[in-house]
Parts: sequence; C-alpha cells; structure tokens
Amino acid sequence: MKKRKVMALALSCVMVCSLAACGGKDAGADQTAADPAPAPAEKTEAPAENTEAPAEKTEASTEAVAPADTAQAADITLWTYPVGKWGDSAVVDGLIANFNAVYPDIHVTVEYLDYTNGDDQINTAIEGKQAPDLVLEGPERLVANWGAKGLMVDLGDLWTDEAKSLIYDSVQSACMGSDGVFYEYPLCMTAHTMAINRDIFEAADALQYLDEETGTWTTEDFQKAVQAVYDSGQTNVGAVYCSGQGGDQGTRALVNNLYGGTFTNAEHTEYTANSEENVKALELLKSMDGINFDASIAGGDEVNMFCNGTFAMAFCWNATQEKNNQDQGNINFEVLPMAFPSEDGRPQLCGGIWGFGIFDNGDEAKIQAAKTFIDFMANDEKQAVESVKASNFWPVKDLGDIYAGDELMTEYAKFVEYMGDYYQVVGGWAEARTAWWNMLQQIGSGADVKTAVEEFVTTANAAATAAQ
Amino acid sequence: MAKNSGSSMSKALVRRETIAGYAFMLPSLLFFLGFVIYPMVQCVFTSFFDATMNREDIFIGFANYVELFQDKVFLGALKNTVIIVVVSVPVTCIFSLWVSSVIYDLAGPACSAFRCIFYLPVVTGSVAVAVVWKWMFNNYYGIFNYIGTSTGMIEKNINWLGDEKFALGCIILILLTTSVGQPIVLYVSALNNVDQSLVEAAEVDGATKFQCFWKIKWAQIMPTTLYILVITTINSFQCFALIQLLTSGGPNHSTDTIMYYIYYNAFKLYRYGYGNAMGVVLAIIIALLSAVQFKMTESK
Repeated sequence: MKKRKVMALALSCVMVCSLAACGGKDAGADQTAADPAPAPAEKTEAPAENTEAPAEKTEASTEAVAPADTAQAADITLWTYPVGKWGDSAVVDGLIANFNAVYPDIHVTVEYLDYTNGDDQINTAIEGKQAPDLVLEGPERLVANWGAKGLMVDLGDLWTDEAKSLIYDSVQSACMGSDGVFYEYPLCMTAHTMAINRDIFEAADALQYLDEETGTWTTEDFQKAVQAVYDSGQTNVGAVYCSGQGGDQGTRALVNNLYGGTFTNAEHTEYTANSEENVKALELLKSMDGINFDASIAGGDEVNMFCNGTFAMAFCWNATQEKNNQDQGNINFEVLPMAFPSEDGRPQLCGGIWGFGIFDNGDEAKIQAAKTFIDFMANDEKQAVESVKASNFWPVKDLGDIYAGDELMTEYAKFVEYMGDYYQVVGGWAEARTAWWNMLQQIGSGADVKTAVEEFVTTANAAATAAQ
Repeated sequence: MAKNSGSSMSKALVRRETIAGYAFMLPSLLFFLGFVIYPMVQCVFTSFFDATMNREDIFIGFANYVELFQDKVFLGALKNTVIIVVVSVPVTCIFSLWVSSVIYDLAGPACSAFRCIFYLPVVTGSVAVAVVWKWMFNNYYGIFNYIGTSTGMIEKNINWLGDEKFALGCIILILLTTSVGQPIVLYVSALNNVDQSLVEAAEVDGATKFQCFWKIKWAQIMPTTLYILVITTINSFQCFALIQLLTSGGPNHSTDTIMYYIYYNAFKLYRYGYGNAMGVVLAIIIALLSAVQFKMTESK
C-alpha cells in the first residue's frame, strides 16, 4: 500500500514536471539546423554548414569609445540571419570575444535564424514580448517592417556627422524610415549578380556575346547567347523560378534590367512594375527557348541546379553563393559571374544591405549596451574589417581593400559600382513579394503578360497604401 | 450504529478517491485549459477585431467574416481543402482497411514488419518526407519523370509540383502515404479483437467471406472506423506542412489550403483577426463534419 502511494506520488511529480518541460529555448549560441543548400542570397533557404576557422581575435581597439563605456554591464541578445559567416557560431563567437576583450561585462547571447523560419520566430517573439535586443538583417525588415511598426530604437545618435560623411548615400537613405528616423546601422552590402557556366557557354561558342572583363552584356547579346546554348543541346539554359519568395531579387533584377524598367518610383511610395519596359521584358523571357517559368523551384533550388549542371545560368547568385559552393565541392565547372543584361550594357543591380537594429524592449541599459555593440562591430578601426569580412560582402564605407589577395572577392567587387536603387523599403512589401511570384506563375501558365502585371501592381499598390 | 459508521466510511472513501482522481487529472487539465481552451476562446474573441502587431485591436464585428466569404483566395483555399478531404479520407480508410485485412492474420513477425513499413512515413519528420518527395517530383531529374520517359508512359518531363493540373494531386498522394500508417495499426488491432466464434458460426451457417466481413467484422470494428474517419478528416483539413514546404500554395493558388492561408495572413501580413476568423470557420466546418460522421456511423 505504501509502495503504491509512493508510486502514485512519483507519477504525479512526473506529470507536473512534464508541463514545465515545454519551456522556450534559451537564446544561447544555438545554431539553426544546417542545410546542404548553399548560403543564401538575400532571401533563400538556410545556409550550408561552414567549417572555416573562426575569425582571429584582434587586439582590442579603444579608439572609438570613451574609457567610461568599458564599464557598461548588461546581458543582451543578438538574433542574426545567415549573412555570410554571421550564421556560423564559430565565427561569431570569435567576433564577440573581440568585443568582450573591450567590454567584458556586456554579455551577448546569439540566436541563429534562417530565412525560412526566421521571420516567424521574430514575429512570435515580438508578440510574446520576448523580442531580442539586437537583430542583424536588412532595411526591408529593420526599417520598412519593424521600424515602421514602431518597434525599433532610434539609432540617430550612432549616425554622427562623421558616420554620415563616410557611409555611402544610397545606404544611408535605405536605413532611414519614412519618418526620418534611422532604424538601422549598416555593416555591409552587396550587389546581387547572376552567373553562367563558362564551360557550357564556351562549348556553345556563346562567350562572344558577353564582356568577361566587365561582367556585362546587352539584352540583344543575352538573347543570342541563350539561343546558342540552347542550340548546342543544353535545353535548360535558365529558369525564372517562382515557387515562392526565395531568391526573388534575382527575377526582379532580370526583368527590370532587360529594357530598363523599374520596380518602384524614386520615392519608394509606389510600385511601377507595370511599365512598358517590364512587360516587354517578361514577354521576351516567355518567348525565349531555354528559359522556363518554373513554379516548382525557388532561388535556393535554382542555385543547386546550376551547381549540378542542370542549368547553364543562375539568376540568384552572389559571392557568398560561389564561395560556399566551391568550399563544399558542389561546383566542377568554371563559374563566370555576370551582371544582368541591359539594353545599354550598364545594369542596375539589386542591392543587399545588412546591418544592426535594436528592438525597443524598454530597458535603457540594454539599449545602450546594444548601441555599444553596434558601434564596436561597425566602427572600430580593426573590428569593422573583421565584421565585414565575416559577412563575405563589402563594407558600406571605405575600409581600404579588405579583400586584397582574395581572387574571388576581387572578381565580384567590380559589380558593386552597378548597385542600383535599394527599393525594398516600400510599404506593403510582404504582400508585394507574394504577388510578384504569383504573377510569374500566372505568366508561366499562359496568362496574358500585361494583364498579369497590371494585377500585380494593383495588389502591390493597394498593400503599399494600406501600410501608410 | 455499525451500519451508519460503515456508510460514512464508504462516503469518505469515495470522497478520497474522487479527490485523488481530480488531483491526478489536474496537471493535464491545466495544460488543456491553458493551451487548448484559452487559445480557442482568444481566437474567437480576436476574430471580431482588426488585430495586428503593435497596435490596439479595433472592434469591427463580423467584418472579417464578411470579407473572407468575398475573398477569392479563401474560397479557392476552401475548395482545395474540401477536395483534399473528400479524396484522402475515404481512400485512407479503404486502403488501410484492405491492407489490415490482408496482414492481420499473418504470422507475428510478418505482420509487425508490414505495420512498421506503413508506419514509417508517420514517424519520419515532415521536412524529410517533403525533401524526398520534392526530389522524386523534380521536373528535371526526378525519378517519376525518369521512369515515365524511359518507359514511354510520358513523352516529356512533367512539372509535377509546378503545374496546377498535377500539384494538388501530388500533395494528396504524399498526404496519403503519411496518413495510412496509424489507421492500419488500429485496424489490425481491431480485427484481431473481433469475436471469432461469431465468424465461425456464420461460416457454419453458410455465410460467404464477404458476408462474414460485412455483417460481423465491419460492425465490430465500427468504433475504430469512426475514430479513423474523424481523425483523418481533421488531419486532412489541417494540411499545412506539405504546402509550406513544397508549393507555398501555388502554382496559381492551386494548392492553397485554409491552414496555409491562415498562416500567410497571420504571419506574413500580420492580420491576426482575419486569420482567426478563418480559423473559426474551419473549426465550425470540422465540427459539423465530425457530427455528421458520428451520426452516420451510430445509425449503423
């Protein structure tokens, strides 16, 4: 009888404890599940595992901060999307170690996100009043989304006159909301490119249609090149992928550049994708042999198929894609990065900007500590270089030739000058992105291009208006 | 005196056991109240508001419900969801019943092996299942296209997940593979519990195998059938993971389901009230269907 009572009590305790087991994860140095797909372009699937050694610790530099700041003490959380090796805990631990050498009492815990679930995780955290202190991502999230909703801290005190004089103008305007408040402090940027399988193009005698040195080609030469590759037997030359929003910066850049169309107006208040130029571009792509509108793949899938030789070109590409895929041995041909084709051979590439934002959780000590973290990572003379190199992208201000001796990064550096308008801060962006790939699916299944584009712009502008 | 003390003792015993029973139930009850009842009530309440992130909710009455029945995408998602249910529920039940009736009287190891095989997709994670099926359905080098073109069954590759003619069918096929495992296990158990003396008596009386099955076994496994019908219906209505992982509701909204559209509105567009209204409508539909299923199976 006594034994039964003891068993019953033990069972009750187990049942009670099982309720407590359903707690949230610590925002520790968790790494999201690795995925064999390569590291993302701006918005594709989760990154590949990165086995590179962590960034070397540099000697702490105290040039940028007053001595009193080193006594700051706080526990802050950083949630980072996989921006290059900022998705790799080994690398980020090294960066944080550099920070702690100067600020030993500001403890940073890192949560690693991916582009598939990261937004949902952050939105859930916001609604549960558990938003992180710091986030590393781009203006479309930090400024146009959470900033516009009043969730982010004003970083105006970080944007000193000196900072404004050093950071490129196009980056500055992207980091500022429509209310004139800076919600993001930028770290790095890139211009997204496309890429071709040079071996296939060479075999098809299609290299004559592009300028390998500048990485540019005209729309007319692009058509000839694709036809030549198609005629050589490579029937799947490229794909306008549209199963979801992953990698959609590639399809937007492709369509906009072909005949000089734009995606939004200069003020970023209205979508202008229904221009004659864009309609003409979509009609051209639909008519081309070798270019399929494929609703079964997104950007990450396209990258995989380019690397395994299924496609001869990829529209969702950048330096990180090549770096990671080469490191994993996924590529056994010569990759030639190219700008998107344009009528005059001078493209306007879709840019990516990444930086830090701070959620306003009402804790002034944590906010100040987070600003100190940003200031160190982005402005410290030595650390800024390490922080940018960890991203595998380029600095937003002149830090010298940080990739000297790195052939790959030097090759991609030539595209940064073609970086066009960063328009991803227009209102209703989430709905517009969905409407974009839905439009591509409609066109792929035979819908009239002009009608489909008009429908897209109507939906997108309605969303933009509702967001204002 | 002895009788009074006996009766008060038994009342005390009953009271003690009742209290003990509730005490054991308490943790699960708290869990149920906190994670099921409270969210349900919150969902219904919020469905009458224009609720979004970082802004006070605005009471709008039935406006969400009016909007969703004029929303072409929601109506399309409802249609797709009904198609999934109408196809997958009977096919799952019939297929699992057939498999169970074949394997239930096999030797122990053989029956267990088959149960394992059919249950494997159930315990395999949705992501792994989706990745493998995505590869098999791949437009360029998937195994289905390879076999189809090699054997001459199809002339050229079919874009299974990228063509609206085929995408929903592919989703239903994957759903079936992950749905049949549990019904098979349940049916095997139910068939093993059928009173064999009744079957033997019927056979002696000249009943055919079909008559034995239909008049005796089917009647005895009716409670299991009811459970399987209800659970499969609910699972089919709540189909979400496959859509999110494979098609994002496309191509051209041909695989949109109510659950996916709820997720899209709530998590992508931050329209919590609108999403909750859809959730309420879905719950009502499931409840009505379940009630009909109970009634139909009870009357038999």
